[in-house]
Amino acid sequence: MAYEKPLPNPDENTQPFFDGLKEHKLLLQYFPSADHYQYPYSDRCYKDWSTDWEWRESAGNGEVYTWVRMHQLYHPSWKAEIPYTLAVVQLDEGPRMHTNLVNVPLEDVRVGLRVKVVFDDVTDEFTLPKFEPV
Amino acid sequence: MSDPIRGQTAICGLGITEMGKVYGHDASWFAGESVRLAVEDAGLQKDDIDGLLVNPGITGMMGTGISIPLQGYLGLRNLRLLNHMNSYGATASAMVQYAAFAVHHGMANYIACIFADAPLQQGGSAGAAYGGAGRRGPSGMASLMPAFGFYGANTSYALAARRYMERYGITNNDLGRVSVTQRRYAVDNPHATMRQPLTLEDYHNSRWIVEPFHLLDCCLVSNGAVCTIVTTAERARDLKSSPAYVWGMGQGHPGNFPHAEVEVGTTSGATIAGETAYKMAGVGPEDVDICEFYDCYTYTVLRTIEDYGLAKPGEAIGLYPEDPSDPESELPTINTGGGQLSSYYMWGMTPISEGVIQARGSGGDRQIEKNDIVLCSGNGGTLDTHGTLILSPNAN
Repeated sequence: MAYEKPLPNPDENTQPFFDGLKEHKLLLQYFPSADHYQYPYSDRCYKDWSTDWEWRESAGNGEVYTWVRMHQLYHPSWKAEIPYTLAVVQLDEGPRMHTNLVNVPLEDVRVGLRVKVVFDDVTDEFTLPKFEPV
Repeated sequence: MSDPIRGQTAICGLGITEMGKVYGHDASWFAGESVRLAVEDAGLQKDDIDGLLVNPGITGMMGTGISIPLQGYLGLRNLRLLNHMNSYGATASAMVQYAAFAVHHGMANYIACIFADAPLQQGGSAGAAYGGAGRRGPSGMASLMPAFGFYGANTSYALAARRYMERYGITNNDLGRVSVTQRRYAVDNPHATMRQPLTLEDYHNSRWIVEPFHLLDCCLVSNGAVCTIVTTAERARDLKSSPAYVWGMGQGHPGNFPHAEVEVGTTSGATIAGETAYKMAGVGPEDVDICEFYDCYTYTVLRTIEDYGLAKPGEAIGLYPEDPSDPESELPTINTGGGQLSSYYMWGMTPISEGVIQARGSGGDRQIEKNDIVLCSGNGGTLDTHGTLILSPNAN
């Protein structure tokens, strides 16, 4: 069955991030002058306003910062999944990511749960970074 | 020690339109009604208005909200102050603050601060009105949000609420106590949209929106407008209605930084905004008689109470009765008109409008007897922006 959920829509600046996902790499922006990892993408470090940065691969480890169960249908493609679990994961490098949790029973989901990234190749073109318990 | 501006300015006119599912009018129409009512309330004439600050709500994001052209619509030809302001839910208090400084220093005499919105359409749901605001396919990183299934303000606040709840052991029943408390006040508020009494059972039976939020954790979406007219204390004294004197003002904007170094969910801008406003007013949390807090969600109220120093972190729920639907139970003097949860959703003008009513003593059956210090909050984004006003019936 065709994948019907909304797909990412990379722009010029974020294309490398999405290309990285396809290679099963989670890339973060690293700003050396502030020793700061930043996500989501920005062309400037919010700590010291530096514009000098590079992509670095995240180790993909972190913990559940917070989570919810979505019951409201905003887009018809989610109908079969409702209610589904959404999470914010605190990466060990510092940034927090909105994401989906997979391979975890609902009763185990809690703030502080240690997780690691898994790559879900949802279509030939796109891969989404999701997280599962360690 | 208070600041010399304490009590030197006042809200002298208040206009509240019909609220809720009021169809057939755009936001400008509601704005016009609110300023007409406020001018009448103050006993002023149209031409007395020489300042205009406007804040659109959801319709501002849809492209049909009020803005600078409202001046022409209202025929205000000699304005000495004009602006369209937006710090989301903190805007209303910011409008009153900037108006207060402007009248205090003679830049204008009577400044109308208007919030107006008309996102509800006949046959459409409140969720559609809000969730559909500005909906275009996002690009870049933002496009990941719908790809993961994140939609709407309900979700981002639910995320914040969950963290708060797990940290402090707050339950859904606790959130329900806030919801039921505010509805009990709304029963006695003729401006309120939802006036049927609620029980905790009703709360638990209301459908899930985004766990941990039931429907009855979420604010209304309303068509309507509120106008407050700000002037000097000296002018306000001789007008038709009792002034609500402005004692304290503050803002605090932590912003939104998804990074380990910034805590989300268990802090808000109220801490900084509150300290600033308390200092200006020369009062502290122990002096506050009535709170009118921005309550987009039940959780927001608890968070706000704590950040203003009215309870220790995690302990705000202790101010609420176990079963607020019990008529014998004593309610905290918080959101005494029912708030955004039960009365009407006019962003930051919901708390300010009820704050003015309480400071004037015109709250009817819901009037709180001791009303010397009324603390009003505005909050925008997901606890990203915050504004504080401290109002009083007393000039000093």
